Amino acid sequence: MMANLMTTEGPKLARLLDSAPGGPEWLQRLRDEGRAAFLRIGIPTTKHEEWKYTNLRDLAELEFVDAPQAAPASPWDGTESEAGATFENGRLVRWQGAEGVTIEPIAACIANDCPGVREHLGQYARPTEHPFVALNTAVFEHGVVVRIAKDAQVEKPIHLRFVNGAADRPYVTNPRVLVVAERGSEAFILESHYGEGVYFANPVFEVKVEENAHLEHVKVQQESDEAFHIATIEGHQEANSVYHTVSASFGAQLSRNDWNVYLNGQNVETRLYGAYVGMGEQVSDQHTRLDHAQPNCNSFEVYKGILGDRASGVFNGKIFVHQDAQKTDAKQTNQALLLSPTATIDTKPQLEIYADDVKCTHGATVGQLEEEALFYLRARGIPFDVARSLLTYAFASEVLDHITHEQVRDQVERALYEKLGGGFPV
Amino acid sequence: MLEIRNLHARVEDREILRGISLTVQPGEVHAIMGPNGSGKSTLAQVLAGRDAYEVTEGEVLFNGRDLLEMDPEVRAAEGVFMAFQYPVEIPGVSNTYFLRAAVNAVRKHRGEPEISAGQFLTFIKEKIKLLGLTNDMMTRSVNEGFSGGEKKRNEIFQMAVLEPTLCVLDETDSGLDIDALKVVSNGVNALRSPERSMIVVTHYQRLLNYIVPDYVHVLVQGRIVRSGGKELALELEEKGYGWIEAEALQTA
Repeated sequence: MMANLMTTEGPKLARLLDSAPGGPEWLQRLRDEGRAAFLRIGIPTTKHEEWKYTNLRDLAELEFVDAPQAAPASPWDGTESEAGATFENGRLVRWQGAEGVTIEPIAACIANDCPGVREHLGQYARPTEHPFVALNTAVFEHGVVVRIAKDAQVEKPIHLRFVNGAADRPYVTNPRVLVVAERGSEAFILESHYGEGVYFANPVFEVKVEENAHLEHVKVQQESDEAFHIATIEGHQEANSVYHTVSASFGAQLSRNDWNVYLNGQNVETRLYGAYVGMGEQVSDQHTRLDHAQPNCNSFEVYKGILGDRASGVFNGKIFVHQDAQKTDAKQTNQALLLSPTATIDTKPQLEIYADDVKCTHGATVGQLEEEALFYLRARGIPFDVARSLLTYAFASEVLDHITHEQVRDQVERALYEKLGGGFPV
Repeated sequence: MLEIRNLHARVEDREILRGISLTVQPGEVHAIMGPNGSGKSTLAQVLAGRDAYEVTEGEVLFNGRDLLEMDPEVRAAEGVFMAFQYPVEIPGVSNTYFLRAAVNAVRKHRGEPEISAGQFLTFIKEKIKLLGLTNDMMTRSVNEGFSGGEKKRNEIFQMAVLEPTLCVLDETDSGLDIDALKVVSNGVNALRSPERSMIVVTHYQRLLNYIVPDYVHVLVQGRIVRSGGKELALELEEKGYGWIEAEALQTA
């Protein structure tokens, strides 16, 4: 009987494990955990509950080569920032700190045992469950550690820019980022992803928001139409902190975000906003998970998706209210707009509540544009096509209004406008 | 200006308008009154081009052209404006943007150049004051978080900005207190001119104390059963709709 080559060899991505870098013992333990988990889970099929609607078959089939050297210009090159880092094809090529912000290559931090690295790395994004966090942990080489100093008020965006260039064959990037917003600090992180050609980007972020810190984190994903983008962001908040996030997901043939936040202190506020758009054959999968572990915390979540042509979308929003988390106030809304009869969305709000004095609400709607609103615009002279484009844009841009930095907001809104094909005057 | 001939319209299987004929000359104000369910609002909606209603018979000519053939946006560009009974909230689109887009769509239709954001702000300044609106309301999303009265004032403000030649007010008085009613009426009266006609749809006579009509028509079960001058409205106020409905049933 013929042996099944796929199962005996494991996924092609597992070959990355052969050249895994080393590191100090504490890191090696994490890497080994990741390696074991990835070999155990492999590339999940749709039988895996967390990957039920997102088929990774095409990714599993890819043969990967080394990343190329050249990277294209990114539309995000000119965005106002002082501190930041640039990754080209997964390699960290530039980084710069600013007053109140230190940015260091993660490899140097590990080698020099910088304060906090050992304490935080791999503690929020655990390498044992999510196969792609496992893979990243086992093999990552490039990354940065961003540290926002205690009580620092950083006004300009800290820009982490990921640019991927076209190559003859697909390649993989596994960037790793650790952000520590120290006590009482206030900062704005912009994370932009842009690329050309076929590649698989697998970034993993761990974001620690310490007591009384206020961190805004905006992610814009504009990967190439041929790319795969599977990202994990694990936020971890301490008492009286605010973590305000906005996710704009427009690119990639297949994209997946797992944006999870652990509310581990009292009076924490977490805001998750997301706008995702899929056209053509795009697959856009948005997973979020909020863990209310302590009393008196608020979380507020709004995700909106627009799906046209034969695109498919997934929204899976979990809220876990732990037993001790009395007086939790959690509100989740997800809405999807289907622009064509062949576009699909699977949405799954999931509330698990183990405390008895809490306020949790969730609402999900899926539909077409409202006839009433369309008629209203037309009755004022605005042609049908323009009215439709305008309302479609407005549906998602409402979410992007929560980006507080004006230039970044304008640029993300512009990206949304272009993604939707314009269609109305600006 | 407007000629409605034997207009029949239905929604699904239910016939709502059953033979309406009405001629409106430039500068005239016609009030359409009637009990609930008589078809008043349907008439307004059909004129504005709502496709939930199917016209089964009759015709409507606007300046000699077939109005029913035109898409809603073409009607608006040609000078028809309906003030909605229930103005729609449009999150994510600012009032100013919306209205400038509307003005420019209409100007484009007429072959006129578009106006810039700056020119537009100057243009609307006086009109904002006339309707007692604020600049803050202009930057907010269309009708979002507006009170009932603010929404109605916003409708009349849009009318003032778009300068239509035929204004159809669909129960603009509903849900307004007396102060809001006065503001709205002042706005409407400021727009009265020899070139502009109005059709004022209302259940109550009260509005007509402020917007004084040239003609009053009473609609019962989809037909105009009586027409007269402004004194007809006072008679209805005094006696209610019962007697006229009874009369209509006898002659039907």
